Amino acid sequence: MTQQPAIPLFEEVVNGYNNLSASGSAGQESSDLRRARQTAFDKFRLLGFPTIKNEDWKYTNINRFLKEDFALDGIVAEAGAPVAAAYPKSLVEKAAIPELDCYQLVLVNGAWSGEVKGGPLPKGIHLLSVAAARQDPALSAWFEKAEWGNQHFATLNAALFTNGLFIRVDAGAAIEKPLHVIHVFTSDRNVLVQPRHVWVVGKNAELSVIESVVSSSGDTKIWANSLSEINVQTDAKVDHVVIQVSAPGTRLVHHTTVRQKKQSLYNNYTFTLPGAELVRNDLQARLEEDHTETHLYGLYLAAGQQLIDNHTLVDHQKPHCFSNELYKGVLLEESTGVFNGKVYVHQDAQKTNAFQQNNNLVISKKATIDSKPELEIFADDVKCSHGSTVGQFSEEALFYLQARGIGEASAKALLINAFAFDVTEKLKYPAVETYINDLISHHIPVAHA
Amino acid sequence: MGNDNEIIDNIANKEYEFGFVTDIEMDVAPAGLNEDTIRYISAKKNEPEWLLEWRLKGLQAFRKQQLPTWQNFEMPEIDFQKISYYAAPKSKPKYDSLDQVDPELLATFEKLGIPLNEQKALAGVAVDVVFDSVSVTTTYKEKLKELGIIFCSFGEAVKEHPELVKKYVGSVVPHSDNIFAALNAAAFSDGSFVYIPKGVRCPMELSTYFRINTENTGQFERTLIIADEGSYVSYLEGCTAPMRDENQLHAAVVELIALGNAEIKYSTVQNWYPGDKDGKGGIYNFVTKRGICKGENSKISWTQVETGSSITWKYPSVILQGDNSTGEFYSVAVTRNKQIADTGTKMYHIGRNTRSRIISKGISAGEGQNSYRGLVQVGPKADSARNFTQCDSLLIGDRCGAHTFPYIESKNNTATVEHEATTSKIGEDQIFYLNQRGIDSEKAVALIINGYAKEVLNQLPMEFAVEAQKLLSITLEGSVG
Amino acid sequence: MLIIKNLHAGIEGKQILKGLNLTVNAGEVHAIMGPNGAGKSSLASVLAGRENYEVTEGEVSFQGKDLLDMNPETRAREGLFLAFQYPIEIPGVSNINFLKTALGEIRAYKNLPPLDAKEFLALSREKQKLVEFDAKLVNRSLNEGFSGGEKKRNEIFQLAMLEPSLSILDETDSGLDIDALRIVSKGVNKLRSEKNAFIIITHYQRLLEYIVPDFVHVLANGRIVKSGTKELALELEEKGYDWLKEEKEQEATII
Repeated sequence: MTQQPAIPLFEEVVNGYNNLSASGSAGQESSDLRRARQTAFDKFRLLGFPTIKNEDWKYTNINRFLKEDFALDGIVAEAGAPVAAAYPKSLVEKAAIPELDCYQLVLVNGAWSGEVKGGPLPKGIHLLSVAAARQDPALSAWFEKAEWGNQHFATLNAALFTNGLFIRVDAGAAIEKPLHVIHVFTSDRNVLVQPRHVWVVGKNAELSVIESVVSSSGDTKIWANSLSEINVQTDAKVDHVVIQVSAPGTRLVHHTTVRQKKQSLYNNYTFTLPGAELVRNDLQARLEEDHTETHLYGLYLAAGQQLIDNHTLVDHQKPHCFSNELYKGVLLEESTGVFNGKVYVHQDAQKTNAFQQNNNLVISKKATIDSKPELEIFADDVKCSHGSTVGQFSEEALFYLQARGIGEASAKALLINAFAFDVTEKLKYPAVETYINDLISHHIPVAHA
Repeated sequence: MGNDNEIIDNIANKEYEFGFVTDIEMDVAPAGLNEDTIRYISAKKNEPEWLLEWRLKGLQAFRKQQLPTWQNFEMPEIDFQKISYYAAPKSKPKYDSLDQVDPELLATFEKLGIPLNEQKALAGVAVDVVFDSVSVTTTYKEKLKELGIIFCSFGEAVKEHPELVKKYVGSVVPHSDNIFAALNAAAFSDGSFVYIPKGVRCPMELSTYFRINTENTGQFERTLIIADEGSYVSYLEGCTAPMRDENQLHAAVVELIALGNAEIKYSTVQNWYPGDKDGKGGIYNFVTKRGICKGENSKISWTQVETGSSITWKYPSVILQGDNSTGEFYSVAVTRNKQIADTGTKMYHIGRNTRSRIISKGISAGEGQNSYRGLVQVGPKADSARNFTQCDSLLIGDRCGAHTFPYIESKNNTATVEHEATTSKIGEDQIFYLNQRGIDSEKAVALIINGYAKEVLNQLPMEFAVEAQKLLSITLEGSVG
Repeated sequence: MLIIKNLHAGIEGKQILKGLNLTVNAGEVHAIMGPNGAGKSSLASVLAGRENYEVTEGEVSFQGKDLLDMNPETRAREGLFLAFQYPIEIPGVSNINFLKTALGEIRAYKNLPPLDAKEFLALSREKQKLVEFDAKLVNRSLNEGFSGGEKKRNEIFQLAMLEPSLSILDETDSGLDIDALRIVSKGVNKLRSEKNAFIIITHYQRLLEYIVPDFVHVLANGRIVKSGTKELALELEEKGYDWLKEEKEQEATII
């Protein structure tokens, strides 16, 4: 068993787990869920927090972040309806997407008040706080998966989660307007927050979700360790946008597992912008049945001393599945970008088409990029490829723009926008595209070397 | 193309043609690794004290290290105490003329297609022959001497040119680099030594032929090549071993040093015994190869054709220290039956304006597993560094695997790194097209494979390109050559 | 030379040829025309032995032997040549090395001694001239980076080199400009003899102005619905294929 006494947080979570087990809150959960928590916690105790000796964390050293003290948030004192904490309203305004017709809801440190803006929800979609869902015998099974492999943070969340958002879409229901979920992280002391979200999108249903992650700036540090499970049933279609624009004191670790059934479609767009000093996204698409389609798009714009790490896995388990991945990175100032994309093709998964591309623009002298695209292929009748590039602005393009009278700074900004365009143009809603482009432009002037 | 399965079966069942054993009296050290063994080897070779000391440091490093765990295959258990670390033909270890060489040995190399007689030898190729632990003979030595080129066994170099050996041995692959390099530092038996003086362009290919013969031995040779300023050398190694049910360990170290404006071209055709179709026996080929482009404008180019060994595990690398230096890696690796190849390269860009180019072609058949693992690292001072990597995998049959693990690490905003990789099945349409022109599927596969690997084969010196092409066809064709 | 009787064949369970009959004798040129999806290219694929086609009924005899019993390379060695509609690219395999291998295999099959390098080169030069094929292309990788026209001309060059008894030209005219079409046709006309035969599959009458066929057949819905001489091609050009469908439907109701 790994003992990490040097890490105060390790002790804190061990105590936290004991408190949770003792509290009445966990007592109302099914015995299977309690067992799953125990399994996950045992695994986490074995794994401890990751170090650079773990291949998956080779380029992401979280040591300096683990030196700080954190208190566990939301473990005790939860009876009845959860009450969302007070939060600066300006954060929600910042996250709101102008001119987007959507249903908007706000989660504060994982807790949802039950309020939805943008009109009553249509038939076929059900939203519930996880605080309630986990104690509901009919829903409990969705939380009982105990196998998280060697995913340090996912096991930690699975052991200790208390809140989050549960989304259910009935079979055949097409939810026309997107759901905009704003995750606000705020606290007046250092906390570890661990929301867990589960989506179940029924057969032939359609759902579009935009998630924004914002946090309050200040001296306090917030560590958000989120875990999302997205179940896309047969013939269902899910469009999923994640926009991370949090404050420097925030550390975001977000694990997402997507499980796709027959002929389903899942699109993910992950945008990470300057802010949180540490962002680690683990996105795993498990293609559990045949004829699925998956698109993963990512754009990371890193600045300051930010470290943005995107780990993706596309797990082709069955034949005739198609996956396409494009991640693009722009590294400014003293930032570090990490990309690790794995495509795994099982022996059964004949006729797989899998593509992956990672392109990086290193703008500043002190910026670093570590890119590791991987293919592991055990089936022969496949078409798989990946590519990775590290480069700079095309001198020629820059010169062309300057020759047309555009100043160097604007020319560079233009080129960064053009570089990002390959990803932003894939977005479904023009309002979201405009919003993201504005965010990028907003961060560029601060930007170059 | 109805006989797809047949081809695959043929590929999987092909026999190894160099599997015979030479019956010759051998001097074999008792199995086991300890200080006494090291002293025994050192004494056998009449080595100076400084080298013995260095070996003992290697042994200490070896004892401190553990077998790596990051590889993409199940690491076999190796009992280092069951291996004999020294085996040599009993008669005189080095011959003054070919007349003194045991005729049985001469016959062995004839059979392997390496005639040692200079009249018969390949024109334009000087050969150093290593049989188990020692160098047997070196051809064309006198001719090379006239140009000041030193081409001899490692042992001889220790005696004749100790200053060069002392200066450079372990300077690129330190005695503590990794567990197998440490083992080699402690127990290395022989190997080749090359020194090309300033401004000399070596007029012929230099070649070392390695043969493992004796049972339960390991082969731990060490090769050191130094190209002084403005010189050029092309060096080639080939290797075979008898068929045996036990696995044998080959843990060699190769160090290349290219000074200013020098160029070293190092080619390998590796055909160690791969084990039988059930994966029994075969060589564990765990080799550390590294070169340093020390001076400006220098160049090191690795080319490898890997068809043998039950497990191949090596990453010929280049440290690009000199400004404007160039590193290249060209590789074809074929795995079939239960063979495993985990190979690739590491390019360390340190100097300004350094360039590297990586072309890797993996071919997997039967239940073979082929992994490309490579690192391209660009340091903060390597302004304008450039890398291009193309890494393709071809799959023949549905029980094999192809894996790609490139690591790209850049700390420089003027660097350009490009990596591309593809994996696909051998083209059925291509086979049908060739069938329609009267070419059977087996030959069609051989043609396609050779075309696929052409960019790499083209890097080999002429004589060997033809050999390598044949080897690839034979390996995959199923018709015993 | 070739006798096709009641040929039924399909792909992935879908029937495409539904009882096709055709006889081709030495010295004859047959054109097979028909609307898209009629099964023209499928016929070529079935005759050449493409694996994914399944023959469910009927027989094909080629020079007195059962063609369907042979694997693709044996068919080629027996003298059946398919000029592909979409010739494949094979990187790294030089055109000349490929042809040398192919010719060697075919000669060995016929118990002929292999040509030595000199003879082969001479033959290659002669045929290049005959079909006006660029010498530069001969040494390049097989079809790699060739334009559409160059690929088709390479097919005809190979035809000239391998001297088959029956050549099937599968839409060789598609994607050719008028000059390329003229060169290709000229090559074919030079290769026509009393001993060999051609089946020309085409959608348009255009090619048949250059290669004049002895017989024209219309393939529709998996069968030959009408046969005639070269005038039929002109008629088709004028009227299109729709009138045949009507005619055929009438026929169907009669049956």
